[in-house]
Amino acid sequence: MDFDMGDEVAALRLELRALIDEHIPPDFLGAFTDDPADLETAQRFCRLLADRGLLCMAWPESWGGRGASAWEQTAVREEMWAHHEPRGAQYMGVNWVGPTLMRHGTPEQQQLHLPAIARGEVIWCQGFSEPNSGSDLASLQTAARRDGDEWRVSGQKIWTSYATMAQWCFLLARTSKEERKQQGLTIFLVPMSAPGIEVRPIASMIGPHHLNEVFFDDVRVTEADVLGPVGEGWKVVQEVLAFERVGIARYARCERLLQWAPSALGDQWEALPEELRSRWAQMLIHARRARLLAYRVVDAQHRGQVRPGDAAAYRIAVTTLDQESAEVLVDIVGLAVLAGDDALRFKRAVEDHWRYSVSATVASGSIEIQRILLARALLGAS
Amino acid sequence: MNIDLSEEALEFGRLAKRALEAAGGDELAQIAEREPDRRESLVGPVLAELGAWQLDPRDSADELEAAAALCRSAGYWAVSYPVAERLCRPSDLDADGLVVVADPAPAAAVGGLDRRWAAVTLDGRRSMATARPMAASPRRSAFVVELDLESVDDAGASDVPLGLVLPCWTLLGMLDRAVELARSYVREREQFGQPLATFQGVQFQLTEAEVERVGLEELAKYALWSIEAGRHEALDDALALRLAAVEAAERVLRVAHQLHGAIGFCDETVLSWVSRQSVPLRRLPLGLSGTRAELTRRLGRRGLTGIFG
Ligand SMILES: Cc1cc2nc3c(=O)[nH]c(=O)nc-3n(C[C@H](O)[C@H](O)[C@H](O)COP(=O)(O)OP(=O)(O)OC[C@H]3O[C@@H](n4cnc5c(N)ncnc54)[C@H](O)[C@@H]3O)c2cc1C
Repeated sequence: MDFDMGDEVAALRLELRALIDEHIPPDFLGAFTDDPADLETAQRFCRLLADRGLLCMAWPESWGGRGASAWEQTAVREEMWAHHEPRGAQYMGVNWVGPTLMRHGTPEQQQLHLPAIARGEVIWCQGFSEPNSGSDLASLQTAARRDGDEWRVSGQKIWTSYATMAQWCFLLARTSKEERKQQGLTIFLVPMSAPGIEVRPIASMIGPHHLNEVFFDDVRVTEADVLGPVGEGWKVVQEVLAFERVGIARYARCERLLQWAPSALGDQWEALPEELRSRWAQMLIHARRARLLAYRVVDAQHRGQVRPGDAAAYRIAVTTLDQESAEVLVDIVGLAVLAGDDALRFKRAVEDHWRYSVSATVASGSIEIQRILLARALLGAS
Repeated sequence: MNIDLSEEALEFGRLAKRALEAAGGDELAQIAEREPDRRESLVGPVLAELGAWQLDPRDSADELEAAAALCRSAGYWAVSYPVAERLCRPSDLDADGLVVVADPAPAAAVGGLDRRWAAVTLDGRRSMATARPMAASPRRSAFVVELDLESVDDAGASDVPLGLVLPCWTLLGMLDRAVELARSYVREREQFGQPLATFQGVQFQLTEAEVERVGLEELAKYALWSIEAGRHEALDDALALRLAAVEAAERVLRVAHQLHGAIGFCDETVLSWVSRQSVPLRRLPLGLSGTRAELTRRLGRRGLTGIFG
């Protein structure tokens, strides 16, 4: 066995940390704040990563990548999420929009979209959830009907992250009513500038730009914007969700904040109740456990195996970790008097982590849905 | 990166599992409890034939991994024999096995065996241990006896991680079994006209146990590698594993018992044997709070090695 990712990955981490150090302000807490400068920072950083071949390094060379290993890709996810995702919303284009287009896109769609994603120039949003279709996604109502050789889309999406800043929407809509609700769904690649699209931000405790409503009023979409066969969108969505499951390395931010705590607190660390420090130690183990469960999924994927039970187990472990570690960190911050740049940065990062973590067990498929998937893997479809 | 035991180790584990099954499988624990004098003869020779006692887990990564796979298989059958402890024997002491002990009342599940034991404390103090006679029947004691220690030296630093990690592999095997038993039970048992497995409340409990089990499996491999690779943090990693193992055992066995209902407490179910055999592994050398306090003290402000530590 060897749990060391090797020298190349270690060098890559150092390179990424140096770039973050140089180009991301120390107070950066993600691209989605009320300060437009944060979004600008992320956009600049994506172009910088792209110039150095680091943005889409896992992509094949033909699409501007360098065929990086599964572990290099893992390290990129970890470093980015740990440092408050300085790529902003663009991680989605890199992680799942691009790879899905490589598998299902026409040559024209690939030419149009992949180079733009690889250059770090474009933000995508994911138009899946609807007011009446959350966990039961396949029940969705947003409809696309044929109109000559075009399509007209009408309906409403909700919880659409980054919709206010996105140029494109990866939209799932119903194109026909069939016997099963999973049939008759189709993916459309829709420019957000199309007439008839209206985005309304939803104020929320997890911060601006995360949640939005998107209304489609008779939006014209061409045949060229249909991804994959008409009526077979559900299959594509399953792949998207599989890419997404290991897309965000939540454990990396948990680990970074936990490891930062003693130095941020300085002498006050030893004065914390022993019980709290022992919860901290336990969280470090849980962070390691979630990381190793992620590696289990990555390793299997890399060898071409699909193990839905493992992916679900990882998601259950990592989303629980996100929330439990946030509670421990908030407790730690609450018992210390924090002053000085580093300590105050730590405090703000913990506060941000706590607020965002409340949504961990709901976003991208709730923890209950993960339990259903894991139970299915354990028990068969009973 | 290579996150799996070697194919040879896995194969050795499979062989051991079959050999122990042929030797009695689930009955091994039951016979040992009824006839404590046979504790050695039930298991010792089977493992000797497999070549288990020729393994030196301190010698090479391959042998360490094979030892871990063997412990997991022994745990699967809940065999009532200190397999991990025997595999940990120190090479420079005249002993058949090694147990990690903690003050104030050193103890180990080595009752009824005519063997020489070395003991090591978490801070590396080694001694030769003499097992006192069993004060209670195996049914009550699970063969745990108190030890009288005769100090040898302070040279046990490298014994401790090994002595903590291999028994966790035994416990992992027990949790493999507990989850497997719960899975098959809820598929068979019907209430309200349908298998228990169709109730979401039942399914969700089972997933809780499974997440603990697979999480423990990964941590067990990691801590083993940490020893293999001779890392400074091997003891931190071993204690972290031990804490996770004790926590996982509590959760997995609670779920497995709950899903079995009353039958799970009865001698006729394998679960009741697995559950009782797990107790010494969970309590010794330290239980949940003791292990956590020790780990917290050791980690200080350094934390665990990882991406950021
Ligand atoms: C931060 C954030 C970002 C998001 N970004 C996007 C995005 O970009 N694009 C997008 O399309 N969507 C997005 N979502 C939506 C997300 O995918 C949904 O919130 C999620 O699928 C759950 O749907 P829901 O909120 O409607 O909850 P519901 O489905 O109404 O569920 C409510 C509760 O009931 C439980 N429940 C539901 N069904 C069952 C069942 N069968 N058994 C047991 N329990 C059940 C759920 O687990 C949950 O706890 C985002 C959500 C969040 C929080």
